[in-house]
Amino acid sequence: MYLNNLLAAADPIVDWDLFQSSLWPMIQGGIQYTIPLTLISFAIGLLIALLTALARLSNSKILAGIARVYVSAIRGTPLLVQLSIIFFGLASIGLVIDPFPSAVIAFSLNVGAYASEIIRASILSVPKGQWEAGQAIGMTHRQALARIILPQATRVSIPPLSNSFISLVKDTSLASTILVTELFRKSQEIAARTYEFMQLYITAAILYWIVCFTLSVIQGRIEKRLDRYVAK
Amino acid sequence: MLLSVENLHKSFGEMNVLKGIDLSIEKGSVVAIIGPSGSGKTTMLRCFNALEMPDKGTIQFEQDFKLSFDKAPSKKEILQLRRKSGMVFQSYNLFPHKTAIENVMEGPVVVQKKEKAAVKKLAESLLKKVGLEEKMHLYPHQLSGGQQQRVGIARALAIEPELMLFDEPTSALDPEIVGEVLHVIRDLANEGWTMAIVTHELKFAEEVADHVIFIDGGHIVEQGPPAELLKNPQEPRTRQFLNRILNPS
Repeated sequence: MYLNNLLAAADPIVDWDLFQSSLWPMIQGGIQYTIPLTLISFAIGLLIALLTALARLSNSKILAGIARVYVSAIRGTPLLVQLSIIFFGLASIGLVIDPFPSAVIAFSLNVGAYASEIIRASILSVPKGQWEAGQAIGMTHRQALARIILPQATRVSIPPLSNSFISLVKDTSLASTILVTELFRKSQEIAARTYEFMQLYITAAILYWIVCFTLSVIQGRIEKRLDRYVAK
Repeated sequence: MLLSVENLHKSFGEMNVLKGIDLSIEKGSVVAIIGPSGSGKTTMLRCFNALEMPDKGTIQFEQDFKLSFDKAPSKKEILQLRRKSGMVFQSYNLFPHKTAIENVMEGPVVVQKKEKAAVKKLAESLLKKVGLEEKMHLYPHQLSGGQQQRVGIARALAIEPELMLFDEPTSALDPEIVGEVLHVIRDLANEGWTMAIVTHELKFAEEVADHVIFIDGGHIVEQGPPAELLKNPQEPRTRQFLNRILNPS
């Protein structure tokens, strides 16, 4: 029995019945978990990133220090370990968080750290004369930041932030390890039943690819739109 | 006096750039500030609106506003000082993500919280004044250097400052378009704007300024009406500087 199944799995011909029956559960996993997990984590992560970047650029040594430790800790540890600490680790000391919110917390913190460096660098890339021009018409620091500096920093940060976003889509597959039934976990579940590992994982890969390809097309559009005020 | 400055000091680290500047600018007058590079003239101008924070001294506008820098002024006081002047930069520093008219409207709308429709009219008339009514919906990168600088002037005028500061407004421009910017500044002088202009254009200073200040080594070396200072300088350092500019070879 076991051997038969393994032999079937080695059969190179695509099993179209399985393809049809497995595709929808996987897409469902994508729609129910992969995409919401990506969108929610990225939105929260960007907010954390902006605050972290501003903290690092602020005059307050304490704020800058906290931000620096946070970025260093997240960047210096594997995402898989962070996920495990938040889901399994916290549960073992009595703080039980459901799989999906656990994943949101882990991915948000992760995006927050990486994107904060992108945002910080983009803010620093805006010439000093832009701050001065804002100040010269009487703007407060906050007005100059919001009206003059951040809009220009946004344009600079779109390509690297898109990279982070696309990475995140793929990283959400790690949530499979903490029982979130997202796209990849769905493919694992079906593969465990059918032993069609190759076919199912290739299908999962193609689905991720389609999502990421669509995102990079959207990225191109946004860049073009924001480039309207830049000399070619 | 519109502006009175007393004992202004500024150093960058070990370098003393301003070593006690005293000067005053009369309302409605045009003051040209000249001097060799590194003399402190731009730093002085930037101290007038606290883009550089003076280490010591006072800056006073008429009778109603006096700010001492002997101890660090509050953020609010700095804003109050800044809002008295408009500034035109050597490198224009227009906001690249905003059209010409949006650049001009930014100060009145965001800082002074004026009503948008009224500000739009004001901005249109200012851009017309600087000869750019056709270009007001273009972005800075679509404008020539001279046009950008004229937008810069309109943006500074839009906040209706008491004093206009010009930091080498034509130094970044090609020689053949320097004239269009000087022309606008000359018009402003005729309208009675009070202006302080750091410039290398001695002919222009002679023609437009009521008063010329020569700075060297962080001191005001000599000042007076252009006819006297430029034609008959008393101080050897002034003579040397003018000589070098007038006979560059």
